[in-house]
Amino acid sequence: MKFGIFHELSVAKPWHARSEYDVYHNALAQVELADELGFDQAWAVEHHFLEEYSHCSAPEVFLAAAAVRTKRIRLGHGIAVVLPPFNHPARCAERAAALDIISNGRLEFGTGRSATWTELGGFRCDPDLTKEMWDESLRAIPKMWTQETFSWKGKHFSMPPRSVIPKPLQKPHPPLWVAVTSPETAVQAAERGIGCLGVSMGTPREYEQRVKDYRRVVRKCEPVGEFVNEQVNGVTFLYVGETDEEASEWGTRLATTFAYYAAHLVGVSSVYPTPAYSTPGLLFSIRQEVQEQTRVGGGVIREGMAIGSPQTVIKNLKMWEEIGVDRMVFIINTGEQVPQERVLRSLRLFAEQVMPAFEKGGPAAASAWRPGRPAEPAMP
Amino acid sequence: MPDLGRLTRDRLPHALPATAPLYPPPPWPLPGARTLKVVFETDAETALNWLPPSLGRTSPAYGIITAAHYPESPIGPFSLAAQYIGCRARTFIRVFALHAVADSARAVAALREVWGFPATLGSVRLRAGRRSARALVSAGGRPLADIRLSGGEPCDPALIRFDPVLNVRLIGSIQPGKRHALLEMVQLDPDYTIADAVRGRPHLAYPSAAESNPWHLLPALNMISAAYTTGDTELPLARFVMPY
Repeated sequence: MKFGIFHELSVAKPWHARSEYDVYHNALAQVELADELGFDQAWAVEHHFLEEYSHCSAPEVFLAAAAVRTKRIRLGHGIAVVLPPFNHPARCAERAAALDIISNGRLEFGTGRSATWTELGGFRCDPDLTKEMWDESLRAIPKMWTQETFSWKGKHFSMPPRSVIPKPLQKPHPPLWVAVTSPETAVQAAERGIGCLGVSMGTPREYEQRVKDYRRVVRKCEPVGEFVNEQVNGVTFLYVGETDEEASEWGTRLATTFAYYAAHLVGVSSVYPTPAYSTPGLLFSIRQEVQEQTRVGGGVIREGMAIGSPQTVIKNLKMWEEIGVDRMVFIINTGEQVPQERVLRSLRLFAEQVMPAFEKGGPAAASAWRPGRPAEPAMP
Repeated sequence: MPDLGRLTRDRLPHALPATAPLYPPPPWPLPGARTLKVVFETDAETALNWLPPSLGRTSPAYGIITAAHYPESPIGPFSLAAQYIGCRARTFIRVFALHAVADSARAVAALREVWGFPATLGSVRLRAGRRSARALVSAGGRPLADIRLSGGEPCDPALIRFDPVLNVRLIGSIQPGKRHALLEMVQLDPDYTIADAVRGRPHLAYPSAAESNPWHLLPALNMISAAYTTGDTELPLARFVMPY
């Protein structure tokens, strides 16, 4: 099992002139340390208009800065919102390719479609259409990376023949992923031969069937890219302390604040009835988890979270390993609720005392690559 | 030692507002309800001005107007329209009632006294076709809100949400200088069994600016959705009461 970190770049109110500066630069220092310590991936989300929760609307800029500060860690564009009303697919392909070049071929390309009315409404994007927009863009972008001249006539975007440049350094192209918050999307990821970026924070037991379904379906996939990226990432909170008590205090603050920020956003399913959003998405899944835990008096820390002493965290992460998750990616701070020196100390403790308990392998993406049949053109 | 009375709190023989209210106690089953609901983005500062200190606004701020007709209830048929602000009680999704109009005096009394709805007497004319629905809410002889659904299409009833309602139960004090003898928030957890649902394009207009019923003060900056449902619901026992 491998490990990564995950940045939302959340900025607590009240804001001051350097609030965002502090968050961005603390996060870059965290990526730099994670690289030195042997973490495998650093992800940055793309969100828009999500006050406090995420000020990471230009993740490619953040990741480019991370790329020049680091040598080995893989950089996760996760997820890029590949819907034409947000980002023209050609712009997604161009930015990702440039980032792959800048990072010496360390890009992981995550895709998604947003689960908030806050974002979709802001771009006047029809929630009913986001799944098919995502699918169309997902099938087009690898072709932009691999074809000298690309053209497209689709339902949601079209373009005449153009050379989409630059091309990524990784050949044939960077690994593809999708954010998965429902069992249905896990299967859709598998059908398309792309990685399952499991951003719903269930327990390992709740995840087990989803991982099994993904593994079963991906064997018979029709990959949208030039190869199959068979990987499952889970996401949870991380705070490693000297003792469970210390970790619990800071971990609770981390998880509670995250849930609080998420709560004040407007999920699509709460205001707009559509079968395209029959499940609530990441933010709202987390909020429900925290609410449920709080309701039963159990606090916010639950089975599988990487919050505790090194021994506790090893025990919890072994549960994920047992159900077949390839990598756990960690949220390590929210709204700077955990002081930076504690975040860095937690990362060091993790590297020194937790990582050795898990087998180390080669570069994660390479280990999971397998050639695939080129996908059928999906769109007329 | 004084000889003290024995009427302890648990034996109090009556309660405000009346010993013989005009209405039966909750829950009220409301079978066959027809409801039109529109959701819209609104102004954040306005939302904050109208929300109690224990509630937070969302991003973006949003409002909801519902207009419902209940053909059967313990007090006979009545209609109720209400305007809400979408809000959060810590991490919980709630709606806070700003205004309400009901078309029966008994309903108005019960809605105010039992459930804390800020109800006034008026009219709620709700009409629906196969692909459209419209409700006109009026009080004091003035139209307050005109909501519509157009271009409707059937949808899965499970997709329609009615979030828990927070109302203020308020009893003014009879003591000079003291404003409230009772001020608390009561939560109504909706229990809907929706048989049919239609969703469509939302429309909202405030035809007049009435000072006594200022529905127009919650502006519609960006319309989000409209849904029309038929099914069974109820006005429940309050599950939860919280301080203002």
